Amino acid sequence: MDVTLEQVRSGLREARYITTPRVETALFLTLTLEKPLLAEGPAGAGKTELGKVLAGMLRAELLRLQCYEGLDEARALFEWNYQKQLLRIQADRGEGRHWDDVAHDVFSADFLLERPLLRAITSPRKVVLLIDEIDKADPEFEAFLLEVLSDFQVSVPELGTLTARQRPIVVLTSNRTRDLSEALLRRCLHLFVDFPGPEKEAEIIGLKVPDVDARLGAQIARFVAGLRRLDLRKAPSIAETLDWARGLCALGVRELDAASVRQTLSLVLKHEDDLRKAEAKVGSLIAAGRS
Amino acid sequence: MRGRLLAFVQALRTDGIAVSVAESMDAVAAVAAAGVERETMREALAAALVKDERDRPAFDRLFDRAFPLGGDDVVSRGRRRSAGGGEGAGAGRAGTSQAGRGGGREPESAGGPGLRPTGEREDAGRRGERERDDGERGPRMGRAARRQALLEQPLELLTTRDVAEARELVRELGARLRGRLARRERALRRGRLDLRRTLRAAVGTGGVPLRLRRRGRRPGRPDLVALCDLSGSVAAASELLLGLVAPAARYFRRVHLYAYVDRLCAVSIEQGHVAPAGRLDLHARSDFGRVLGDLWHRERGVLGRGTLVLVLGDARNNRLPPRADLLRAVREQVQRVLWLVPEPRERWDTGDSVLRLYATSCDAVIECLTLGALVAAVRQAI
Repeated sequence: MDVTLEQVRSGLREARYITTPRVETALFLTLTLEKPLLAEGPAGAGKTELGKVLAGMLRAELLRLQCYEGLDEARALFEWNYQKQLLRIQADRGEGRHWDDVAHDVFSADFLLERPLLRAITSPRKVVLLIDEIDKADPEFEAFLLEVLSDFQVSVPELGTLTARQRPIVVLTSNRTRDLSEALLRRCLHLFVDFPGPEKEAEIIGLKVPDVDARLGAQIARFVAGLRRLDLRKAPSIAETLDWARGLCALGVRELDAASVRQTLSLVLKHEDDLRKAEAKVGSLIAAGRS
Repeated sequence: MRGRLLAFVQALRTDGIAVSVAESMDAVAAVAAAGVERETMREALAAALVKDERDRPAFDRLFDRAFPLGGDDVVSRGRRRSAGGGEGAGAGRAGTSQAGRGGGREPESAGGPGLRPTGEREDAGRRGERERDDGERGPRMGRAARRQALLEQPLELLTTRDVAEARELVRELGARLRGRLARRERALRRGRLDLRRTLRAAVGTGGVPLRLRRRGRRPGRPDLVALCDLSGSVAAASELLLGLVAPAARYFRRVHLYAYVDRLCAVSIEQGHVAPAGRLDLHARSDFGRVLGDLWHRERGVLGRGTLVLVLGDARNNRLPPRADLLRAVREQVQRVLWLVPEPRERWDTGDSVLRLYATSCDAVIECLTLGALVAAVRQAI
């Protein structure tokens, strides 16, 4: 695809996605080299959002394949619509049609249930294919995916080989609950999406929760950055930070203080242990946030 | 430029970051597309070459060395190029050749009088570091090779660092095992076509079996009881075994994990580490007889017809009463008893080992010298 780095930058700005040069470069390369992009990083750092923003930027359809343990080809690629086939055969009954005709008929594209992967390949327009949480799928599925991603073609035994008319833009995300296969890593461009620094996050808060004034926004961002440095079971995600900002805003808080933080901290931290650990440090975190 | 890139790739490889040929081609294409503005080029190369964030610090270090700062010349030329080119694939390719020609000039600018001292210091630093690296760790391997080596490394020879790495590997293998069990269970649950119920359902659709009914056979899940020796010599193997079976817990009706030295103690796995429920004296002398007594008298409730008992230990009993009769009694109560031995076969039954006495009550005694063998044994067992 023909884009310049500058276009990607302005596209991201338009999509209101605040990010780093690292992400811009990786997205630019994904579009230019037409290679799949593997985004790794902690949960809630905005990996899935990448796919959505990319689709918005290109004004392309977003096809999303959520991976889970036990995901198989039938759910990811295609399945024959058994019910519809049966109805067709029923409807044809008594017309004395030849077997070959019927078989040819019920194994045609009309009776195919297209799942995201096949949709991405057969789509006449450019699409963005988001394969979410690939680390949750089984290694066998990963191997299968590899085949599809390497040349964007699949063969359906009854229909023959289908090749992508437009190479889809592919974004894979992974939380690194397990290591992905070397072969998959080799085929993808790699991007590590980390939490934004406090400045960037304050910017995000300002953009997404305009009611919060800049000073409070900066305090929230620094406080959350401090939380992420604690050894927590789950570090607060960007979405949770935004929830918190909205919550504080609704409560009419103008400045972070120990009382308001204690009252609302459960918006950011969802584990009992984490809450307890953080509550002990509220004072010092607020102090750090104000400076 | 291409030459410099390839030299950089070579430096990465020397440092243990595996870079395939395809990836180095990606790197060249990435730089051709993104231009040579230093930070953009750094990110472009990272996207193409660094597939594991843990390699990033090493990458940055080598990048700074291969493309030292102060090449103002490089930056400005890069800007001009990305402003002029960048439109269309043809222009992109033109960029490559430009970059190639640019490469001819670069050594001159890099070797300019202003830069030489930095370059020399860098070189000296690198030499020092390389020597230190070799001295401490020997040649480094890529990740895949490292894992294969870990699987084949005798458990006895695992160092603390190996164990930490093995733990990570075990977590992954455990998850894979769980996936296998999940698939098997799904296949079973899908089961055979239930003709009677399919026909009944078909009545509602004019006799056309629109919805197929399957016989919802719930597979019987076995119970798992694992006993692992945590005494010095085999502790590493035990810990890995526990880590291996813990993720699969969902696919057993019940899982009871025990560790023992001279007494039996229930344990759980928390974040890859063994957490005993009671007190466990790791420095006591192994006493299998008493452990079996504990199992038989205290924990008999966990033994049932569907139970699979996995024992990991060297059966070195310090000449204490072996109480093989108790293991026989246990065997009578359960479905299977498997004994995994982290010792080479030649050493079985030598010295204070009483494996022979226990072996008669076991369905199988399996030699598990490496992590790979351990995984194979567990696979076979469940």
